[in-house]
Amino acid sequence: MTLQQPLQKVDHSALKTNQLVIIILNLLAFILNLPMLAAFVALVMGIGSVLKTPGFGIIYKSILRPRGWMKPDVLDDNPEPHRFSQIVGFVFMGAGSVALFLGSNVLGWVLVWIVIALASLNAFGGFCVGCAVYYWLARFNVPGFNKQPPAGFFPGMKPKAGASG
Amino acid sequence: MNLDILLRSALAIGIIALGVGAYWLLNQRLLVRARNNVFTLFKTFPNKPVIVYFTTPDCVPCKTIQRPALDRVTTLFGEKLQVVEIDATERPDLAKVWGVMSVPTTFLLDSRGEARYVNNGVARLEKLMEQLQTL
Repeated sequence: MTLQQPLQKVDHSALKTNQLVIIILNLLAFILNLPMLAAFVALVMGIGSVLKTPGFGIIYKSILRPRGWMKPDVLDDNPEPHRFSQIVGFVFMGAGSVALFLGSNVLGWVLVWIVIALASLNAFGGFCVGCAVYYWLARFNVPGFNKQPPAGFFPGMKPKAGASG
Repeated sequence: MNLDILLRSALAIGIIALGVGAYWLLNQRLLVRARNNVFTLFKTFPNKPVIVYFTTPDCVPCKTIQRPALDRVTTLFGEKLQVVEIDATERPDLAKVWGVMSVPTTFLLDSRGEARYVNNGVARLEKLMEQLQTL
């Protein structure tokens, strides 16, 4: 049984920075035909997944936020679905990179583009597909997935400031 | 090498355009859905522009930004405009049939009851005014 658990403070600006950097680097990797750059993105996402932090969030924490170029957007939310989402992204990017290095260019770039599309949907549309998948798995009582979306919000949609569960 | 980069750039732009087009189509679908469900709110349409505003009690930007913006347009347009506020927690059925996924969401209907605009998220005063001018 899934229970509504207390939400935590999640800085969505760090998540957004991560998504935007992933989009930009992947686009550059595709345009310049640089599988190594795609592999680098996969590596950073993998490291972020292990450390339970947005992979490129360090750019936000060390450059964008201190200089005031991006303001914190701290919302009541569950961090777990976002971590899961990054793991899914890492799996796609990892598989894409491997495919590119093995010469399966079409498969490799399609996987990279899927990550670009999902990151764009999250960054510009406020909908996190990985989070929605997480909440669906929680709904089906899959072990390890036990969080519910913030009250009043469609699973995966970015919560609004002040919403609480 | 340069030709390859150009081709890949063109392909990237094409894919992005497809994505933007898909988003536009999704919004159009939402508007069609709204048009088909006007009867869920009105037995007889008031023959003036209507803003259908979906909110929830714990939605802070609804209180701090959306509500004041709607109050302002109501003041400016007076009797020429009607605002219908719907609490999505009290009427989840309406939120579902209108395709509302987050709050605030505002639909702008013209005087014939045709849904012309949908704003997913906060629609500031300037945006609402701009949209209302075209109705």
